[in-house]
Amino acid sequence: MAPHKHFEALLLAAALGLGLGLGFFAPAAHAGRSCEARKPTTPSVERGLQLAEKTLASLNASGERVVLLARAGQDLTKYGLRYSHLGLAWRVPDAQGGSTWHVLHKLNTCGSAESAIYRQGLGEFFLDDPWRFEAAWLAPTPPVQAQLLELLQDTRRALRLHHKPYSLVSYAWGRTYQQSNQWAIETLAAAVERGVTSRAQAQAWLQFKGYEPAALRIGPLSRMGGRLGAANIAFDDHPNDKRFADRIETVTADSVLAWLQRAQLSAPGRSPTVVGL
Amino acid sequence: MKSQFASYLIAACAMLACAGASFDAKAQSEASALSDMSALPVASVVVAGSAVAGSVVAVPLVLSTAGAVLVVKTVESTARGTLYVLERASDGASASIEIVGRGLGGVSRVAGTSVVVSVVGAGVVLSAAGEAIAFIPNALGRALLHNERLTD
Repeated sequence: MAPHKHFEALLLAAALGLGLGLGFFAPAAHAGRSCEARKPTTPSVERGLQLAEKTLASLNASGERVVLLARAGQDLTKYGLRYSHLGLAWRVPDAQGGSTWHVLHKLNTCGSAESAIYRQGLGEFFLDDPWRFEAAWLAPTPPVQAQLLELLQDTRRALRLHHKPYSLVSYAWGRTYQQSNQWAIETLAAAVERGVTSRAQAQAWLQFKGYEPAALRIGPLSRMGGRLGAANIAFDDHPNDKRFADRIETVTADSVLAWLQRAQLSAPGRSPTVVGL
Repeated sequence: MKSQFASYLIAACAMLACAGASFDAKAQSEASALSDMSALPVASVVVAGSAVAGSVVAVPLVLSTAGAVLVVKTVESTARGTLYVLERASDGASASIEIVGRGLGGVSRVAGTSVVVSVVGAGVVLSAAGEAIAFIPNALGRALLHNERLTD
């Protein structure tokens, strides 16, 4: 098993509470901090590229200009979640006079508690050896797409709410850390409501619009294991009453997609388009 | 035939530098994550020996036949990275590829290594021992690739 995979499995066990002992996790997690690149297998590269190609075709045929694009990097079905990671994707001209799509999203810097924003093609977005080769996209309403497009074409605005300190399970209404989906939804808030220029304002707007984060049930041993085992997992930003009730409220791709529909920020009656192999 | 293929150069595009960065990044959201990017060294095809990264030129036949087995004949350092001459085992047809930076799949492939060609809609994937070591995109593949880190 490649170092990363090993680390991944153990850390997930630690963070998500598969009932293994705490002492078991830390050494493996430390080993994972070396962040040795996992060697991509030929099938995973082929399938990632195929998923990128199918997603491109689906998006190009849609007539949409901006979508929220989700991928399934991890098996989160035990939490009732289908997708793990969200990006903001928009149509750009390609070299042949047609169009292709770029994705703006946030990635955790390997083995650290920091993050950075990347603009990537669909190839890079899906060349990630995901748990399931499946994408989902949901187009906001045309006015929201126009607002998002304006922001996405203005890098300064697009990066304004990026907060470098990162925790995998950052509190949805906190400002200590910011995980990837949290960046995406806060940035969406800034796009739609021009007056939003801070994370606090973005979160206030999201609450006003009825966004509800997922509540993951993560017990104390798992929290300790996750915290000690990895630089990029912290729970200290969660309110004590929720944390000690094992209730970890964080922004998930699924909850964002559900809220967009509920808040009528996407076209009525339209559910996410699923692209699989 | 050999000289025909030898006239092709595949130069890694600037993508590699960025791809290197993405090797170190992991997409993580909520309880997901810890999956690292497995971006590959990306090569672009140029003709007549002039390395024009980013241009889209037909991939030479020797590199676009699914299942073809090539052998690394020579490995040579260049100003930009590493130049590999690959030769098809069956008939000796060859092609050269240049990878900017760290080389194929992040490691130095030595002469004698066997490389297998697989073909997908977006281009050609080169593999050694089941591990993908380079991607040679066609026009569609190039439309799928972009890698830019916007914050420090």
